[in-house]
Amino acid sequence: MITFENVGMRYGMGTEVLRDISFSLDRGSFHFLTGPSGAGKTTLLKLLYLAHRPSRGLVNFFGRDLATLEREALPRLRRRIGVVFQDFRLLDHLTAFENVALPLRIQGAKKAQVADHVEELLSWVGLEDRMHARPATLSGGEKQRVAIARAVINKPDLLVADEPTGNVDPTMARRLMHLFVELNKIGTTIVVATHDEELVEMIGAPILSLDKGELSQIEGGTPFDPGED
Amino acid sequence: MWGRTLQFLPKQNQREGLLPWVIGVMLFLCALSLTSALALGRGLERWSAGLTSNLSVQIVVDEPHERQQQTDAVLTMLRATPGVKEASVMATEDVIGLLRPWLGDMPTDTGLPLPTLIEVKLTKADAVNIKGLGERLRATAPGARLDDHQAWMTQILDLAGVVQLLLAGIVVMVVLCTVAIVIFGCRAGLASHRESIEIMHLMGAEDKTISKAFDERYLGHGLKGGLFGVLMAGLTLYVLIRLAAEMGQGLIQAGLPAASSLMWLALLPLMSGLITMVTARITVRRALLELM
Ligand SMILES: Nc1ncnc2c1ncn2[C@@H]1O[C@H](COP(=O)(O)OP(=O)(O)OP(=O)(O)O)[C@@H](O)[C@H]1O
Ligand SMILES: [Mg+2]
Repeated sequence: MITFENVGMRYGMGTEVLRDISFSLDRGSFHFLTGPSGAGKTTLLKLLYLAHRPSRGLVNFFGRDLATLEREALPRLRRRIGVVFQDFRLLDHLTAFENVALPLRIQGAKKAQVADHVEELLSWVGLEDRMHARPATLSGGEKQRVAIARAVINKPDLLVADEPTGNVDPTMARRLMHLFVELNKIGTTIVVATHDEELVEMIGAPILSLDKGELSQIEGGTPFDPGED
Repeated sequence: MWGRTLQFLPKQNQREGLLPWVIGVMLFLCALSLTSALALGRGLERWSAGLTSNLSVQIVVDEPHERQQQTDAVLTMLRATPGVKEASVMATEDVIGLLRPWLGDMPTDTGLPLPTLIEVKLTKADAVNIKGLGERLRATAPGARLDDHQAWMTQILDLAGVVQLLLAGIVVMVVLCTVAIVIFGCRAGLASHRESIEIMHLMGAEDKTISKAFDERYLGHGLKGGLFGVLMAGLTLYVLIRLAAEMGQGLIQAGLPAASSLMWLALLPLMSGLITMVTARITVRRALLELM
């Protein structure tokens, strides 16, 4: 579904932050992305959620070569990708509810049509009492859950999550991971960047490991098997 | 709150909150300087035209026959001068009328030597070189004197021209300054929305969806500010016009427009609304194009 071939990435005129990255993500696959701080995880995810063009190399998205895609075609692709940003990036002046509803609204849904769905998901992540709170009044873990709910609300084809469990306790982390696994079961391709080895072990999915901008792949263990349909 | 446009912006924003006021003050100044410059320019034109399209020539000769001869010579010369529309001898009664403030009422046949006055009307204010005309008059008739207040009148005319140019310059500067401040104000307001724009973009919102949210908002800011400024300017001018009318004809009125000519001020808020909207659209689109 997504293929990277010899992809390199640099910011401006700096040195390459990613070098010769090659991998492919099958439809419905589940990958972890690990590596020390500064290895380039967020940078790689930015390429995956179409925030940057690579400096070199081939990227194929849903069967289309990124280099030949015109700018007008990108919004449609982006709507098929859910993103949990490392720093959440919620809209500060909107409530949790409105933030989570945004992806659906961007696709053209009316506010009334989305209400049930949004409320259900927010309850699922334990925020039924905080639905109409603004991000400024939410704790780090609550913001993170809003960010996750926003990323999965429209059942994306690809879910990209950058440290999605960095601010929650282990129990909530497992619960959120369970959400990803459920989503994965209905066909969403998932990439989760994390430092949390326990989480990686629990899911046992294959690992993309980055170190100083270079990628190596490690097959997953098999505690339980979330990847296949 | 969503309406037809997908409104993802905060209802209130501190930096933007100032924008309508900044626009209002700028438009107030702009409207005032525009109207008074135009009125002052027109006033100067009318005033100087009235002053100089009329000249007078005195024939100061005691001997009646000689005086008549010189008068005829001067009339012939004047009527042959290009730029002179009319030249005629003023009737004795009119000359006495002119002198009345100094001499009081008097009979027409006192035998006092009244000067012969020739009234000259020019086709337009600067149709004749006054200095050259004076020299030619003296050559034609030694007793002829061009009223010499005309000499400094030409200097005033030159000055009026310079003042008009200056006014035009000031107006151009104030208008440009207003446009620039409106644009800078918009940009400052928009800078605070940069993060929202980027998030919407990454979630797959199209450029036009995003910039549409700003269109209405900034059109509103521009209209609101413009309306406020122009209303204040209109009110100020109206009060000044009324005050000037009460004080009677005077110099003050030269700098004021006619009350009826204030209607076009209504166009200014539309213009400021349009400028803010277009600026917002351009700024947002440009920010979006910087993203992938
Ligand atoms: N916008 C940017 N401009 C320039 N350099 C950047 C930018 N973003 C990241 N970098 C650099 O790229 C390298 C990789 O950064 P990246 O954020 O991808 O690391 P990471 O693996 O996500 O780290 P962490 O685990 O701390 O989140 C770092 O050296 C960082 O300094
Ligand atoms: Mg990172």
